[in-house]
Amino acid sequence: MTRKMLRYPLLAAGVAALFAAATDTEQALAHKEKHTAEQMQAFTDAFMEQVKTGDNLFHGDPETEKRLGVKLSNTGMACAMCHPYTSDTHPHEFPKYQEQMSEFATLRDMINWCIEKPNEGEKIDPNGAAMKAFEAYIYWSNRNSKLDPGRH
Amino acid sequence: MSERKRIGREMEDKQRAVQDRPATGTSITRRTFLHKSLLMGAAGAATYGWFPLLNTIDLAFGAEAFKFAWVSDTHLYPRQVNSRFVEKTVRAFQEVQAMRPAADFLIFGGDLAQLGDPVELQVGADLLKEVKIRKVFIPGEHDWYLDMGATWNRMFGKSPWTFDHKGVRFIGLDTVSRADDFWTARKMTAKERMGHMATLDGTLGGAWAGLGMEQLKWLNSTLASWPKSDPVIIFSHNPLYEYYPPWNFWVRDWLQVHEILSPYTNVTNIHGHTHQVLYNEIGKLRSIGMLATSWPWPYAPEGVPTLTKAMIRADPGDHFDGVGWSTLSTNAGGRVDNEYKMWRKQVFAESPEDSGTSDNRNQILSPRIADRI
Repeated sequence: MTRKMLRYPLLAAGVAALFAAATDTEQALAHKEKHTAEQMQAFTDAFMEQVKTGDNLFHGDPETEKRLGVKLSNTGMACAMCHPYTSDTHPHEFPKYQEQMSEFATLRDMINWCIEKPNEGEKIDPNGAAMKAFEAYIYWSNRNSKLDPGRH
Repeated sequence: MSERKRIGREMEDKQRAVQDRPATGTSITRRTFLHKSLLMGAAGAATYGWFPLLNTIDLAFGAEAFKFAWVSDTHLYPRQVNSRFVEKTVRAFQEVQAMRPAADFLIFGGDLAQLGDPVELQVGADLLKEVKIRKVFIPGEHDWYLDMGATWNRMFGKSPWTFDHKGVRFIGLDTVSRADDFWTARKMTAKERMGHMATLDGTLGGAWAGLGMEQLKWLNSTLASWPKSDPVIIFSHNPLYEYYPPWNFWVRDWLQVHEILSPYTNVTNIHGHTHQVLYNEIGKLRSIGMLATSWPWPYAPEGVPTLTKAMIRADPGDHFDGVGWSTLSTNAGGRVDNEYKMWRKQVFAESPEDSGTSDNRNQILSPRIADRI
């Protein structure tokens, strides 16, 4: 089969796949429609659910840790013990050069550093559910701070 | 300005009359000199809390010198859960015992345990055997809310108390036992109640720190016979002024406390709970915040008292950093110095970058929400 002959079936398969994707991911096209109040509420609820999960993880709630399969501390310490109200987590200052790690770091890197070093816990998947919840809570709590990446 | 802040400011204005300051010694020290500059409006650095301040206390009393030591906020868990806090507590107690000349007594300022567990309190009692000098105790909220102080009172005695020592009237208060009952209606277990009270930024505990009417009356009558210009040192777990109420960095009835103390010109409050270098003066009352041995708290989001020279930013990778204890000593001239024993050379930050407090201007925080049940 020549390369030219291969092109048409491939193109057809691509178009079919696009249609399939469009049917499967109807929500992806939803922003073309006007948002309803219900939708907006659903978006907020989905976010705040993550915030609450992150809040619970941050305060060492054993049930939430168990549900998400993470072990954040082996010292009895929880994040909030050094960071009440998420003080001094500074999500608005990442990414930045982080002294403790001697490298350029994201907030996710820093969260894992704190879990591993001071808390002697087990690092979590940087793209996992627990990390997303942590991010949601920390960003939410600092949402009125001014964005200032790179600041020490 | 928030309602809370407005009320706080009004209360402070009422208390802090013009040139109403704590009595000082006859000599002009670096501290009093700088304070006078501040009153003249000359110390612009104070705007950012950068104030070359030594936490010295001037006590205009007799010539007999003595020292005492403060340790608090050890937050001990059972030994197998957390050995770091045990190590640091042992280090502090060994250093207290090794003081030469020996301290006249040790004041333990509360939060010996993390979750009020009798096992934790017993670990504390065992470690305290290292210290052979006289020991006096006041409770913290972490010692209290599992069994409402039953084990604490049995092991370490009830508060408040008072004694006179070498010309100073010492008073130990209970500022932790008067939380409003949030647990009965919610059918909480004792452990759940303790868990909420042990969370500094928790919602349910509310404004739990306070003396209560009965103790205010006791304080008033205890001081009634004491000469107005003689030194008084008051130990409390929480600070006796309004620093940051959401974390109970205050007592809720501080205005009444100040009204009772206002006739006395030489009163020093030494407190725990805040886990940080802290100094303030409200009216004639000085307050000095002590370090924890366990971990340092960040400074309050709304900033530190202007008179505080901020502590150095702690290294979170070194659990012996940013923590420690204090010696307080008098010399023959009748002066007392507070010396923070922080287990590092530099205690005070020389610039905002080295303290972390400059971030207070660029972090706006929200209270937690997941515990509003």
